[in-house]
Amino acid sequence: MSNVIEVAGLTKRFGTLTAVNDVSFNVERGEIFGLLGKNGAGKTTTVEILEGYQSPDEGQVSVLGVDPKKGGGAWKDRIGLVLQDSDFDPSHTVTETVKLFAGFFSHPKSVDETLELVGLTDKADVRIGRLSGGQRRRVDVALGIVGSPELLFLDEPTTGFDPSARREFWTMLEGLRSAGTSILLTTHYMEEAQHLCDRIAILAAGRIVAEGTSTSLIALTGTTTVRFNVVHGLDVAALSNGAGIDFHVAGDVVSAALVSAQSELLRLLQYVERVGLELDGLEVVRPTLDDVFLDVTGERT
Amino acid sequence: MRFVRLSLRQAHYNLVAYTRSARTVIFGVLMPVGFLALFNSVFGGKFKTIPVGGHNISTIAFYTGGLTTYGVMLGTFTGILVAIVGAREAGWLKRFRGTPMPSGVFLAGEILYLFVTSLGLIIVMLAVSHFGYSLSLPAHAYLAIFCYTVLGVFAFSAMGLALTSLITTSEMAGSVGPFTVVILSFVSGVFLAPNLLPQWLLTFSSYLPLEPIVSGVQHAIALPGGSGLMLRPFIVLGIWGVVSFVIAQSNFTWEPQRH
Repeated sequence: MSNVIEVAGLTKRFGTLTAVNDVSFNVERGEIFGLLGKNGAGKTTTVEILEGYQSPDEGQVSVLGVDPKKGGGAWKDRIGLVLQDSDFDPSHTVTETVKLFAGFFSHPKSVDETLELVGLTDKADVRIGRLSGGQRRRVDVALGIVGSPELLFLDEPTTGFDPSARREFWTMLEGLRSAGTSILLTTHYMEEAQHLCDRIAILAAGRIVAEGTSTSLIALTGTTTVRFNVVHGLDVAALSNGAGIDFHVAGDVVSAALVSAQSELLRLLQYVERVGLELDGLEVVRPTLDDVFLDVTGERT
Repeated sequence: MRFVRLSLRQAHYNLVAYTRSARTVIFGVLMPVGFLALFNSVFGGKFKTIPVGGHNISTIAFYTGGLTTYGVMLGTFTGILVAIVGAREAGWLKRFRGTPMPSGVFLAGEILYLFVTSLGLIIVMLAVSHFGYSLSLPAHAYLAIFCYTVLGVFAFSAMGLALTSLITTSEMAGSVGPFTVVILSFVSGVFLAPNLLPQWLLTFSSYLPLEPIVSGVQHAIALPGGSGLMLRPFIVLGIWGVVSFVIAQSNFTWEPQRH
């Protein structure tokens, strides 16, 4: 079987709120799949159903070929979890905590290797209570991977990381992926999803509103934008006419969405060259996943 | 066997936490020992004996038996309540639930650890009474105390466990636990001689889970002859323990409680 996760028509209600609404997706073996969405979009509920913590109201769910609600010890042995928030006994050291968890699994990684992977080797003998928030989060990840899982669930793993820690974390996940681990990741960091995920599903109000690779998602919505600063004496109307591009002014910035970037840019540059205009702070911006996200969730203002 | 091995590891893990926490050492050992020294010094010279259940028991034996049992209840009942509510609140229980660890291991590790710390406390308390107040135990007392400890740890941890379904925060657990034990101690012949209490209260407390075992331990320490064991504590605490365990089993939750 090439899919490690299969979800079809998954629905979960809490009272009158439909937290997850007819969600379907598959995660293939060996890929990093991202569930992207704002807080309350239904990411954690979906993941907790896949982890076996919650029961679906409707739909079929299969994780490593097993219904998570019926998954016993042998199933849990193949899965690694990093929950959204869990805290550990502060009086134990990092090594002691990881060792305890290693004992639960039938094929654990060595503690040294695990700490190396999450970058905590130099904190091995430090008590959890003395670690920073980001370091504790790495302990959490260490406990998720110490059992050498085939499938790893990561629920917003990098919340509270500083930018360099986040980079290191991404490198670690890429290492796990190349070692064959399949990963389901939830995040609200677009950059993280764009950087890491082979495929992404965007959740909004419990529904999947877009799905694909980050490139295909960007191509879906994406228009290139050109923009520059307003300077004294700049006649935007004349410029729009002359270059044949429909410019808008918002605050200090003039911008336009380009339909056919290459030819329109050429026209613009030829025009300003001819009339002797200097465009201040000129930039051409490719759309990011942020733009896609705002578009598909209808959040763009 | 995997279950036993994992439970022993879990118990060891808990013991390490115990020895590293000033709070558990202060409340678990120093407080009962302090009370023992205090009560023995204040009343030890004043009264030679205290009547308990028809026998006159030496004041030292009365306080050693009572305060040791009080310490065991405080440690196990409060200990398991705080540990489980705290672990649940922190998401630790939920985390364990997601691993292949059999779910009974957490509990077995907890109870095993409480049994070890209880035995440790008993040894310290008996040593203090022996060396400080020249208490000497009849030979049968050691086995009797061991049996009472098994009974007490079982019943008190089952009661703590049952209470975890009502108590949602560790802050609440940390006050409800000790409060219950202290109130119970006042009517169970721990701090006060039973003959100071009205008859109705004595009758009432004989059905509660502390008085029977306190009086059992006091008799085992004070009276020579026999096995040192009485049936009543095993019946009363046995019922409390089994009922609590049944309640705990049907109401136990692993997930943090939202409130």
